[in-house]
Amino acid sequence: MSDTGGNSFEPKIVAFLCRWCSYAGADLAGVSRLIYPPNVIPMRVNCSGRVDAGMVTEVLAKGADGVLIGGCHPGDCHYVNGNYKTRRRVQLLKAALEQAGVNPERVHLEWISASEGGKFQKTVEGFTTKLKELGPSPVGCDD
Amino acid sequence: MTKLKLGIYWAASCGGCDVSLLEVDEQILDLAAAADIVLWPCAADVKYDDLREYPDGWIDLVLFNGAIRTQENLELAQLLRKKARNLVAYGSCAHTGGVIGLANLSSREEIFSTLFKDHDPIPTEVSQVDGCSLELPQFLNRLTPLDAVVSVDYYIPGCPPPREIISAVLEAVISGKLPEKGTVFASEKNLCDECPRERTEQPITKIYRPHEIEADPEICLLDQGLICLGPATRGGCGAACPNANMPCTGCAGPTAGVTDQGAAMLNTIASLIGVGEEGEAVLQDEDAILQEIEDVIGTFYRFSLASSALGSVCRE
Ligand code: SF4
Ligand code: SF4
Ligand code: FES
Repeated sequence: MSDTGGNSFEPKIVAFLCRWCSYAGADLAGVSRLIYPPNVIPMRVNCSGRVDAGMVTEVLAKGADGVLIGGCHPGDCHYVNGNYKTRRRVQLLKAALEQAGVNPERVHLEWISASEGGKFQKTVEGFTTKLKELGPSPVGCDD
Repeated sequence: MTKLKLGIYWAASCGGCDVSLLEVDEQILDLAAAADIVLWPCAADVKYDDLREYPDGWIDLVLFNGAIRTQENLELAQLLRKKARNLVAYGSCAHTGGVIGLANLSSREEIFSTLFKDHDPIPTEVSQVDGCSLELPQFLNRLTPLDAVVSVDYYIPGCPPPREIISAVLEAVISGKLPEKGTVFASEKNLCDECPRERTEQPITKIYRPHEIEADPEICLLDQGLICLGPATRGGCGAACPNANMPCTGCAGPTAGVTDQGAAMLNTIASLIGVGEEGEAVLQDEDAILQEIEDVIGTFYRFSLASSALGSVCRE
């Protein structure tokens, strides 16, 4: 887990991005030279539907302060309905996080298409700011 | 032939696991013939000081039930790890934290203030009562399963473990044919694999709690909108609960290779919910179904919270 709260705190973000839309969107942000916070570690997955709740809890357990999941807009999933499944999972997972004492905003789902480099940039900016406010993740107490 | 030395210990436990051992009926006599029980606080007096005198590795096998909640549980787990050649996590509480692991949703202080609200004084490690000093083991900040504090050789899942599994373990112990270390004495597959109910592969359009409907005894309970943890739970109990028309609540822990049982079940439910054609319009209907699940942790993590990431959240 990261050092301190406050301004010096740099959250670690793991971003699961679907290959057909959001990863391409992140790529576009890169080639367009859009500047966004370096806190995010992108992981390419074939579809946002590949991201199961256990992957999210695992990265939280391993020290991530927030998890971003990027998928195609509803109706655009390359595998028809993977993003709908993800949306339902994230919803249940957020309820579980809240009950367990973890702010559900630490998990963020966003639809980002391959042409939305700007939206990727804005999403990462907004999420990083939010996590700075929230401080280090409380998951993984070793007392 | 020298007799085996067997120990049975309870840590943070309800006592059900100790009693479950007797379910093997007359097989207990075979056990008594093959082994001397050198430790069983539930049935025979034992002094921890005597236990400390035993040579390391002296006890062939210790069946350890209950979770680690107090300093005493922790110290005994460490001591028994030293004294036992084989240490077995017996029952859900030792295996995954069990139902009492749900206490990790509350801080130590919250637990104390709820439990001892009107008591004065609230028991502390050393309390002065009527001029006497009373010592209690420290209540730890969090509850953990056995393998979070010491290495464990075998696991026997279940709350309490079912007779067939206990019987198989005793047979292995008596015949000296223990399997590879790390073995979980249960099925490698999930519960659905051994459940006789018929899957209709219907999407879930409404979620019910067990008291709200009378379930059809032949059809898969999930298909009927009851949250059955079978898909995310290790088999081996013969689907005892579904056979009694009740959904599985997950006491046998996750299937082989899975660490987060609750997350696995949550994925399953999310995938099964469906209200027709995918499209923006159905999202609200889906949300309404999901919101019917009132106690998400208590439903999906009933026995496994303490062994999952969400059961180790810092609370102040
Ligand atoms: S596993 Fe079940 S029966 Fe055994 S101690 Fe825990 S609550 Fe009791
Ligand atoms: S979900 Fe439950 S009722 Fe359905 S097959 Fe699996 S164990 Fe049986
Ligand atoms: S491929 Fe992008 S969400 Fe399925």
